Amino acid sequence: MLATILNVATRFWPLFLKGLQVTLLYSAATVFFGTILGAVICFLRMAKIKLLRFVATAYIEIIRGTPLLLQLYFFYFGLPKMLGMDIHQNVSILLALIINSSGYVAEIIRSGIQAVDSGQTEAARSLGLNGSQTMLKIVLPQAVKNILPSLANEFVMVIKETSLVSTFFGGDLMSQYKTISGALYLTIEPLVLVGMIYFVVTFTLSKLVALYERRLAASD
Amino acid sequence: MIKTIGLHKHFGKLHVLKGVDEEIHKGEVVSVIGPSGSGKSTFLRCLNLLEVPTGGQIIFEGVDITDKAVNINLHRQKMGMVFQQFNVFPHLSVMENITLAPTTLGKKSQSEARELGLMLLERVGLKDKAAEYPKRLSGGQKQRLAIVRALAMEPDVMLFDEPTSALDPEMVGEVLEVIRSLVEGGMTTIIVTHEMGFAKEVSDRVLFMDEGIIAESGPPAQLFGNPQNPRTQEFLSKVLH
Repeated sequence: MLATILNVATRFWPLFLKGLQVTLLYSAATVFFGTILGAVICFLRMAKIKLLRFVATAYIEIIRGTPLLLQLYFFYFGLPKMLGMDIHQNVSILLALIINSSGYVAEIIRSGIQAVDSGQTEAARSLGLNGSQTMLKIVLPQAVKNILPSLANEFVMVIKETSLVSTFFGGDLMSQYKTISGALYLTIEPLVLVGMIYFVVTFTLSKLVALYERRLAASD
Repeated sequence: MIKTIGLHKHFGKLHVLKGVDEEIHKGEVVSVIGPSGSGKSTFLRCLNLLEVPTGGQIIFEGVDITDKAVNINLHRQKMGMVFQQFNVFPHLSVMENITLAPTTLGKKSQSEARELGLMLLERVGLKDKAAEYPKRLSGGQKQRLAIVRALAMEPDVMLFDEPTSALDPEMVGEVLEVIRSLVEGGMTTIIVTHEMGFAKEVSDRVLFMDEGIIAESGPPAQLFGNPQNPRTQEFLSKVLH
């Protein structure tokens, strides 16, 4: 079996590499745009107006309460129908990933903000700063420290979750596994290889995040 | 200067302030004492609307600040507050802690604010710490910084909420010293405290709060020396040895 694995690796490494590239690209785009959208959702979630809060909360709960695979199906089949036009499958897939991630990121940002001691807000308000000045100058700069490590962890999670994209042969690492295993009539050997690639990437990133968190803690 | 009329505060079912009528005059130094849970901190925090009263009025410099149409931020600029837990801003240097509010609120230019900041820091013995971050300060130094931060807004009244309760005993003195010099400079001051000796020494008037009302009020000599209310007597017999 080891010989077969090595054989598959030497013959197909460009395909695996291409798959990894696509996976990382999906993940990076997902977390980047997911963070922007998530920040917007988070501020709606904490808005003064009840209706906005309700809409944002419903959005977050629905996203977190349904499987990503379902959401992928929904955007893959539903979006072209709803818009009545052809949409490139990668666009539908990326949109689903971004919207999914934004629900989680919104909660990451919210908990990062809420973890800032309420005494900080009280002190700022007692000086006469208004709500948004307090948020901008006092709360957010401190919340970023809580948010960044969680965002990095979200990135690691998304790398693994993008494997669901292979359902539609989205070109990611897991899709390449399907292609290779279909071509070779081999299931386990390429799977071990793909698993190793996922593991090395996520493990390395997790360790980097942990290192970064330790440095943040030391600077406190 | 500050007048409360029938002040009530409920936290859900809990009735914390049960009608507080009080007037604090310009230049007056008033200590608020009483058992924990008596509402003294809530009373203080209502004065700048950090707690929004559920009933009654607060008249500050002639304006009813409980009126929803009033921009409370403007009035808070005139009321400095110092907290038990210091609440200095950890992500800002000592100087930035001081200059943030006056510059953000357009009260002072950066250089004016720094100048005032340095003068105030010198007064509390922290001039050499201007560039440090709060994590490098002791508790006593943090609280002195918090006082300076409030003073930098040039307030008309200072509110102290148990300013020494979170300090190690050896640091209580340095903070009280700063408050004392402030009081001697004529600052209108309201201080919620457990430091009976200090309250006795610096106050023009002492309020004894119990179960959400001001149970007794008078000059320190009278309130500490010859309390009239049995609850005051009971409280003082417990805290004065």
